Amino acid sequence: MSDQPVPAEAAPSRNLVQFVLRLREAGVVVFLVLLGLTFGLLNDRFLSVQNLTIVASSAAILAIAACAQGVVLITRNLDVSVGSMMGLVAYLTADWTANHPGISPAEVVAIAVVLGIGLGAINGLLVAYGKVPALIGTLGTMSLYRGLTYIYAHGQEVSSSRLPHWMLESADIRIAGCPIYVIIAIIIVMAVAWFLYAYPLGRRIYAVGSNGVAAWFFGLRAERVVMFAYVLCGFLCGIAGLLYAARVGTVNVVLASGWEMSSLAAAVIGGVSVSGGSGTVIGAALGAVVLAAIDNGLVLLRVPEFWRMFIQGAAIVAAVAVDALIAEAIRRSTAGRRR
Amino acid sequence: MAAKAKRQWPFWEFTLIVAILGAGAWSSTLSPYYLSVDQLFGSTRAFIIPGLLALGLAVVVSLGEIDISLASIIAVGTVTLSKFSAAGVPLGVSAPIVVAIGALCGAFNGLLVAKWRLPSLAVTLGTMGAYRGLAFIIGSEVGYTDFDDSYLWLGSEYIFHGIVPVSLIVFALMAILVWFLMHRTVYGRRCFSIGLNTDASWFAGVDVTETKIRAYALAGALAGLAAIVWIGQYGSARGDNADGSILFVVTAVVLGGIDINGGRGTISGVVLALFLLGTIRNGMGLANIGGPTQTVVLGSLLVAGVLRPAAAAALARLSNPARLKAAGPQGVESSGQE
Amino acid sequence: MKSKILAALGAALLVVGLAAAPALAQQKTSGFKLMMTPKWTGFPYFELTGEGAKAAATELGDTLVYAGADHAEVSLQVETLQNFVTQKPDGIILAAIDLNAVAPVLKDARKKGIVVGTYDADAAVPARDLFVNQLSYEQAARVMLDAALIDAPEGGEIAFIAASPTSPNHMAHIKIMTDLTQKDAKYKVFKPVDTQFANDDDAKSYDVAVNLMQAHPNLKVIISSSAVSAPSAARAIEATGHVGKVWATGFALPSAIKRYLENGSEKAFAFWDPWELGYVAAYAVHQKLAGKFEPTEGAVLDVPKAGKFTTFKDGEVVYGKPLIFTKETVGKYNF
Repeated sequence: MSDQPVPAEAAPSRNLVQFVLRLREAGVVVFLVLLGLTFGLLNDRFLSVQNLTIVASSAAILAIAACAQGVVLITRNLDVSVGSMMGLVAYLTADWTANHPGISPAEVVAIAVVLGIGLGAINGLLVAYGKVPALIGTLGTMSLYRGLTYIYAHGQEVSSSRLPHWMLESADIRIAGCPIYVIIAIIIVMAVAWFLYAYPLGRRIYAVGSNGVAAWFFGLRAERVVMFAYVLCGFLCGIAGLLYAARVGTVNVVLASGWEMSSLAAAVIGGVSVSGGSGTVIGAALGAVVLAAIDNGLVLLRVPEFWRMFIQGAAIVAAVAVDALIAEAIRRSTAGRRR
Repeated sequence: MAAKAKRQWPFWEFTLIVAILGAGAWSSTLSPYYLSVDQLFGSTRAFIIPGLLALGLAVVVSLGEIDISLASIIAVGTVTLSKFSAAGVPLGVSAPIVVAIGALCGAFNGLLVAKWRLPSLAVTLGTMGAYRGLAFIIGSEVGYTDFDDSYLWLGSEYIFHGIVPVSLIVFALMAILVWFLMHRTVYGRRCFSIGLNTDASWFAGVDVTETKIRAYALAGALAGLAAIVWIGQYGSARGDNADGSILFVVTAVVLGGIDINGGRGTISGVVLALFLLGTIRNGMGLANIGGPTQTVVLGSLLVAGVLRPAAAAALARLSNPARLKAAGPQGVESSGQE
Repeated sequence: MKSKILAALGAALLVVGLAAAPALAQQKTSGFKLMMTPKWTGFPYFELTGEGAKAAATELGDTLVYAGADHAEVSLQVETLQNFVTQKPDGIILAAIDLNAVAPVLKDARKKGIVVGTYDADAAVPARDLFVNQLSYEQAARVMLDAALIDAPEGGEIAFIAASPTSPNHMAHIKIMTDLTQKDAKYKVFKPVDTQFANDDDAKSYDVAVNLMQAHPNLKVIISSSAVSAPSAARAIEATGHVGKVWATGFALPSAIKRYLENGSEKAFAFWDPWELGYVAAYAVHQKLAGKFEPTEGAVLDVPKAGKFTTFKDGEVVYGKPLIFTKETVGKYNF
């Protein structure tokens, strides 16, 4: 064993790490399956295709937000302005759409995306180039964006009757019984996951998050990577905000408030580490599914609201603990091999 | 480095004092009602509860950790107090128990963070929900309001001819206590050293786990105390008490100059930041400026506050790259006096 | 020692001054300073009540300030009220977030001679002079069930969505509605099966509505007293293909549910005129200040533009003008 060449030793240990990283995502899946089985045993309607579709549709938009949060978390940063970005984008876009009845769907999407990118870029500038700690910088923009939404709205809301018919109707489209926005969410999350996995810029996001100093020595411009992560986050929030508006049909100033915490919770349950560098956006999206499944299952079981809060909180702590156990297992196994 | 870091903080506190005076002057032009002794003392009451949380959070943040579950611990405290009040237990007995329960909730966070090395933001995000749920479970559906008068004293009475709120005295005592703990005891030095470099502190023989658990327990205990003040101030115990106030607390701690990555900052800075935020909110409130505008002003202030060192460093880099290190503190000073 | 005496003197002077102010105010009949705070600003319903109150104040020669925090947090509302009291208004009008938590500051205000009027959601009785109730709890419950009868005359299972277990009016409505379905022959066709909470959040309401339909396959009507939840429930029914099987009703602004009534996916919602409610609330506080109205049981508040309103026990002035919106009538309203 000891006379094996070094590269050969490095290879299996990397495979092992990759294996466990995959296992880490598997952790959410296992949790989800256990949750599903428990609810399924207690209530026979839970595991019906129809109900699972419902769970997926309540999770879809949060999954996109969690994916946005996940990208930023992987760079070892944080974005607590996620909900406020969604709210501001949704309100501005909906108001613009309501006031310009002839507007085409493509233009609406373009407005939302551009606004989202702009807001994300402000966060990126603050954190990447302003060197402001992520929590504080985005805490500031969280208040700022939400406050601007209120000031712009001036006590109004954009009600469903003011929105063009196609906007709400397109959210009601179902493909093989599955709401369109669930499919959009799946495509987006997959695309982002693929991007992070296969593209150099995507890999750099992981590199910066797992070891910023090492990444710097390798010649990575961490600022640019972090900036990009925030812009991507803003972009995703723009889409999520628009989908939210189309789904719920009424756009008010409090839209998606509190989603900074839900998106963070979903990402953490999904195995994205708040210390950066590990986890996947697919895991984050599955975390959103876990939260939606708990919500749905507890209503089916007629469990009081209070227990829902308690159980979701406990689930987050449990997920974090499992995550740490896995990390510890990796550390031990790799250390063992080196010896 | 540490000595230099220590030197630059008084400038930040000085900046805060200037800002408070500026905000006070601005407030007095906004509203003719601002400048009155009654008003000034009375308005502090709104900031006692977030203030107590900020003191505890400052200790936790100085270790490089965070606790966003503190507001939920208040709710656990208030509903527990309501149960004691309903059972006719005197405050002398129930108050220490509630503070202890707060400390226990905090210590549980600390245990997860320090012993099991879990990331504090994620853990306290979880316990934030769990403690809130617990408060609803204990308090059940209906709020409780039938408190014995003795329960209300701490949060509602005024002393010195009815001008100074009792809760302000409590806050002042706690602020001095925490200041002493952090700046005049070995424990405080350990907190800052862990915040600066956990591994080095561990090698130097600091019991990192115990120090962290104690910090969390202290923050929890202060939240328990805040629950008693809450009952006095609002006379209402419900599961949703203090929901949503934690972001203001984080703002105060950060604006007070506690480095969010740990290791730096002063308690006096946090107290001054509370006064600054309080002055601004009080002034705008008296001028009947709407909530959204206030939110925008506070958000901008926070961003401006944290951009300050970066701007100063950038300025220093531009003016003379070679003297970067020496210019750091001076850059802060000059920007502070703007 | 000297400073203490001075402080005491100062305090005494202040007390005299404060006591004198309302005494003077009592003799006025106009030009009062009124201050109003909703549960939170930025919600169209509360903005409309604010506009109504402002209109009343302008007509009556008063000034009215409308301000408040941007989210429904009781400690912020108390802070707003404290700031109001400092500004020594003649009257305060508010929609209380937590009836007891606002009581201490309101009692303090009343001690200083300020007339306190609540609307929409009451504060503890000793903490205010009068409460302009949009609809009595029983009336509200009946109106919502009447709307449910328009939706589903044959009856069936009904479920409720409230804001939270701590919102007193929602919980009271649900309790009375449940009682009515057992006692009143007219409503016996309904069978309440579930109550869920959505925190006045639209996405949560949508998901709760979907989950309710899932949990209760025979559900007929979803009823919500929350003006946020009712439209979201209607949207959920439309989007999940339950149109014609499940109906949503409850209180909602006509603008928010116009779409669903016009496209036939819903039949009836109820509400009241928030603008007029704010108008009447400001009017009531003005009349009390001017000494023309005392909110004792049986007293009648005469508001020329809105009608005559009777006072019930504990200073509760019932506005009591419910509106039911249907496809035919919804177009008439511009709020």
